[in-house]
Amino acid sequence: MATQRIYGYADPWSIKAGEQLSFMVSGEGLGAVDAQLVRLIHGDENPDGPGFVEQEVASEIPAQLAVRRQFTQVGAFAVANDPDQRLAAPGDFTIYAFVCSTKPGITRQAMLSKWDITAGKGYALGISPEGRLEFWIGDGEMIDHVAAEIPLVPKAWYFVAASFNAATREARLTQIGVVNRYNSLIGPVVPFDYGSRVVETLRVAPADPGVATPFLWAGASEENDRRGRFVGMLYSGKIDRAGIVGEVLAPDVIEALARSGSMPAGAVIAHWDTTAGYTDSGIGDTIVDVGPHGLHAEGINRPVRGMTGWNWKGRADSFRLDPAQYGGIVFHDDALTDCRWQPNLTVTMPAELRSGVYALRLRSAGAEEYIPFFVRAARPKAPLAVLMSTFTYLAYANEHLAYDALIAQAITAHTPILTEADIAFNKLQEFGLSTYDHHSDGSGCCYSSWRRPILNIRPKHRMSSMGMPWALPADLSLIWWLEHSGLDYEILTDHDLHAEGVDALRPYRTVINCTHPEYYSENMLDATEDYLCAGGRVIYAGGNGYYWVSGLRDGEPHCMEVRKLDAGSRAWQADPGEGYLACTGERSGLWRSRGRAPQKIVGVGFTAEGMDESQPFERMPDSFHRRVAWMFDGIGPQELIGDFGLGLGGAAGIEIDRYDLALGTPPHALLLASSHGHSDNYPLVSEEVTYAFPGRGGTQDPQVRADITYFTTANYGACLSIGSIAWSQALPYKNGDNNVGRFMRNVLDAFLKPGALPGSEFVGDEKLWR
Amino acid sequence: MAPQQQPEKRFYEVGRRRHEITLMPDGTEVWRRGRVPLTKRHWLAWRGVSNPKSLRRERRLLDKRPLWWTIGLGGLLVATPFLSDQAINIAAIFCIFSAINVIWTLIIGTAGIFSLATMAVVGMSGYAAAAANVYLGVPWPLMMPVGALVGLVLGGFLALPSTRLDGLYYALLTLGVAEICRVFVSQIKALAPANGSINQVDSFIPADWLLQRPGLLLGFFAAFALLLAALLVFRLINSERLGLLLQAAREDEAFSEATGIDYRRARLWVFVLSSGALGAIGAFYVMFYRSISLAVFSLDQLLLLFAMIVIGGLGRSEGAVIGTAIVVLIDKGMLDLGPLRIIIVTAVMIGVALTAHNGLTGVRAQFRNFRNRKKSERRAARTEKGGEVMPEEATEIADKQQVYYRLFDKRIRDRLKAQITPELIAEHKAKPLGQHSDALDRVLNYFRRGEMPDKYAILRVGEYTSSTYKVLAFSGRPGHPPRVVDDKLYATMDEAYHAVFLLRVNDLLAS
Repeated sequence: MATQRIYGYADPWSIKAGEQLSFMVSGEGLGAVDAQLVRLIHGDENPDGPGFVEQEVASEIPAQLAVRRQFTQVGAFAVANDPDQRLAAPGDFTIYAFVCSTKPGITRQAMLSKWDITAGKGYALGISPEGRLEFWIGDGEMIDHVAAEIPLVPKAWYFVAASFNAATREARLTQIGVVNRYNSLIGPVVPFDYGSRVVETLRVAPADPGVATPFLWAGASEENDRRGRFVGMLYSGKIDRAGIVGEVLAPDVIEALARSGSMPAGAVIAHWDTTAGYTDSGIGDTIVDVGPHGLHAEGINRPVRGMTGWNWKGRADSFRLDPAQYGGIVFHDDALTDCRWQPNLTVTMPAELRSGVYALRLRSAGAEEYIPFFVRAARPKAPLAVLMSTFTYLAYANEHLAYDALIAQAITAHTPILTEADIAFNKLQEFGLSTYDHHSDGSGCCYSSWRRPILNIRPKHRMSSMGMPWALPADLSLIWWLEHSGLDYEILTDHDLHAEGVDALRPYRTVINCTHPEYYSENMLDATEDYLCAGGRVIYAGGNGYYWVSGLRDGEPHCMEVRKLDAGSRAWQADPGEGYLACTGERSGLWRSRGRAPQKIVGVGFTAEGMDESQPFERMPDSFHRRVAWMFDGIGPQELIGDFGLGLGGAAGIEIDRYDLALGTPPHALLLASSHGHSDNYPLVSEEVTYAFPGRGGTQDPQVRADITYFTTANYGACLSIGSIAWSQALPYKNGDNNVGRFMRNVLDAFLKPGALPGSEFVGDEKLWR
Repeated sequence: MAPQQQPEKRFYEVGRRRHEITLMPDGTEVWRRGRVPLTKRHWLAWRGVSNPKSLRRERRLLDKRPLWWTIGLGGLLVATPFLSDQAINIAAIFCIFSAINVIWTLIIGTAGIFSLATMAVVGMSGYAAAAANVYLGVPWPLMMPVGALVGLVLGGFLALPSTRLDGLYYALLTLGVAEICRVFVSQIKALAPANGSINQVDSFIPADWLLQRPGLLLGFFAAFALLLAALLVFRLINSERLGLLLQAAREDEAFSEATGIDYRRARLWVFVLSSGALGAIGAFYVMFYRSISLAVFSLDQLLLLFAMIVIGGLGRSEGAVIGTAIVVLIDKGMLDLGPLRIIIVTAVMIGVALTAHNGLTGVRAQFRNFRNRKKSERRAARTEKGGEVMPEEATEIADKQQVYYRLFDKRIRDRLKAQITPELIAEHKAKPLGQHSDALDRVLNYFRRGEMPDKYAILRVGEYTSSTYKVLAFSGRPGHPPRVVDDKLYATMDEAYHAVFLLRVNDLLAS
């Protein structure tokens, strides 16, 4: 039997009951799969908890779903819109661009091409497998080329041009280094002679490869019997302003072009000004042709826009300050933001469907896939909302840490634990990266999208590098506990919060976060603040939340962007001058660096992480104050809270947050409980380290702890923060009968009632503390 | 990327490189690259580099053979008109024999068919061309096409058994064919009434120039042109499509066949085309001497030719030419030595066969290999496995930090080895995760920071609730799955963690 594989994704992720969504599925080694709608209740199979729990839900989804193999185009590139085929076989022509290659050599890469790889027809300006700039042409019978004399220096800017004289077949290749003090990896002190000017008489003239072969940036067109047309010869690196002129430009014109970058005089066919179309609030996927014909190019798989260009002079550190210096477009040969699969199923969910986390379960004899999605209430009725961290799910989607991150084992203090399914998925290398991974040229991945199969949102998935559930599978522990407690709740997602702002929260009396609300947009922070100001109640029950400045492009919620900057626990670091989100124009990095530390909103913020073991919380003196003592009903004064749990055996751990007035914790916040005894595998986070000195681990540094804080806001609002990822994962312990659950129940019973909160009257000066 | 804390596993080329002719062009100059007409090839395979030591722009030439050919053949061409009559004759004979040997090299080297029927083809074509001229009145300019045609036909016949018979048997067969040809020709009285010879053949050398200096010079220039033509044929067959097909087949017959290369057919083509070329040479041979005799079929002539390609080196055109030059110089140039010449040729041949792996042209490569082997033996004796970087290796490592990492790694390993005690191992066994003693923490942290290739991981076998565990090792290459280290199954996670720890301790102590 052939190996069976099922992969799929849902679009959109979050719908209201009664709305429509589509499922895109690819099956290999099978023709049909069993399909069943399920409600996900619990993910973690840890025997200390309830195990995996799902409920089958009747729906109009057919029991059998026909599937076939669907192919995925990886790699970022751009397609020129050329309806009149002006870029086909231009006779005499000159093609030019500013380029900065990050990975020259090994495989052939096409930078600008109207090239049919299969037929060997057309022309292309690219990089040979030896890492040299090369201009190649073909007529379908023979391919000929002219190559630069020396290989390209990686991560250095060049102006490159090739001209072809159709009468004499003389090709002139020009390569001019344009490295300045700022724009490249190396600077002017390196005595490279970047230039190369080669003239050769070729044996063929390019033939028109036809309409099916588009003019491409960063790739060339290829065809396969099963797959049809796709793009190969993908390029890794930057391309700045580029163009094509219908004549052989004189050498001095080319030299002048290399100095100015502005559109040359003459028979311009296209001149793409990569800096055109920028706005203060972001950049789209269209590369604007300012030439006479408007042959705009459309980016596929989100080429990264607004990056430093060939003429970057370092003073402006954002495309918003001087777009003309930010014409760089970064292409990655392994970028993926949309699989573009055909939907196998488009269904309308029943209007009466309960809000919750659902999945389309697909099964065959040899494979299983869960495609999760989120259903909100059509009209909110419950008093409690659970905010599912869909931004975080995207950020970690398909992370490769166990395989590719050298330091992952040192961070987690774990040996990774893989399954056959993990290995099979990783082997494919087909479904893109997370914002924790590096592209093949070593640069960080800043985009993550839900329009692709995502292994680690499967409900039973355990993150290999840590051997435990992470994000959605871990968040289901809270869902199980709410179900088990009989509390009436509905769910929301980060995307809903981002789109609707405080309106999404307003119907609810209390909103509770999941384990790891790490990625937040400005809209989301604003909404949370406004909600608290308006009397809303927030239970921030997670670790390392409100951390990274993230964004979505308007109208494209599937793809999230983040730039990891100079501080924080960062899997990578954006290159200088590239810290602003292309999709919104705002500075990315930590919210803390932009004046919005999480302490300011919920009282606690990230302080340490470790994946070896978790600890319990211990009550702090504030917890005995009558303002909050009701939260601890049934919990003894010395009782350890959460010395158990599915998250490494404790309620305080994995990623932990602390109270800090210096970072903006509200001055009236109470410190209810804290954790002790973390190991040295919990080092203080790097944004807290100004001077480095020994002893910043859990056994020596008092800042390494998880805190529970509480403060009230206007209009009977309140915020309880439990700064630990492991907290929710302790809830299902002993079938929910435990002191973590009891604490949560005490809090929720009060929070879900309107009006004044218990203990709120105890605000006078006190001589006695009890 | 996360900083690479341990040396990458890579081998660096160390020691002296081959000398390259180096020019220092300027990047602002326009380089007009000429091409060999009708091809995409450049005249010289210049290679542009930035000198890794100085970053100076350099244009280097590794393959200097075109230069040697030009110097060698050009020298011959320029010098010959100033030589004595006898020497001119020797030079012409050298050119003819070289041409034969170059084509023969195609058969033996490129096609890999061990045929000894070379002179038989040359001779039969020569006789046919001579007969056509003398008896049928075919004018001399058409003799070479006639010879080529006969060569093609003969080649076609000879090719048939070549795929059926292996090496030695085929060689014997062709030797037999040569003898049959000789007997055949000698039996046909009508063809060659005078002792099996045909005389008074027309030629490109006017009859009254015969044995005169102008005639000799004309003969030489024609023979020189013949040699150039033979080299062109060699190049076209050996380095173009047919030759490349056969090169693939030589590297891996089964694989090339699987990719659709019909190498048997390609072999036959090379054989047939070469035979045609030999036929043309046969016609030229007749014209050059204005006669042909049975001596052309003689075994000693064949063996002399064989000695030439053995001395020069099989399979290469330069081998064929150099070998021919040596043997012709001895055989024709030292006529006064008499029979001793044959002994000298034999001695040279035996000497070359005993000492060189592939004739005189292979001597340089052979010497280089020998010298590199000796050097690496000396280096190996000086260094310790997994130890520090040798100076000659350090110059080749582009990232100098790797040199430090290797040094640091060696020292940290030496320190950590001393920390491994039974108590330490027991401590890990009791509690694989969480806070440990300082010694165990240091050991574990070293392990965890290791490079990705061969870094250990754990495989969960079966459903989570009923799983057992195996130890894996990462490939360190994206898309290349980890390998299973051994078949041992561990019942619990803690046992698996400890198993990985023990493997790492073992690796540390073994390093």
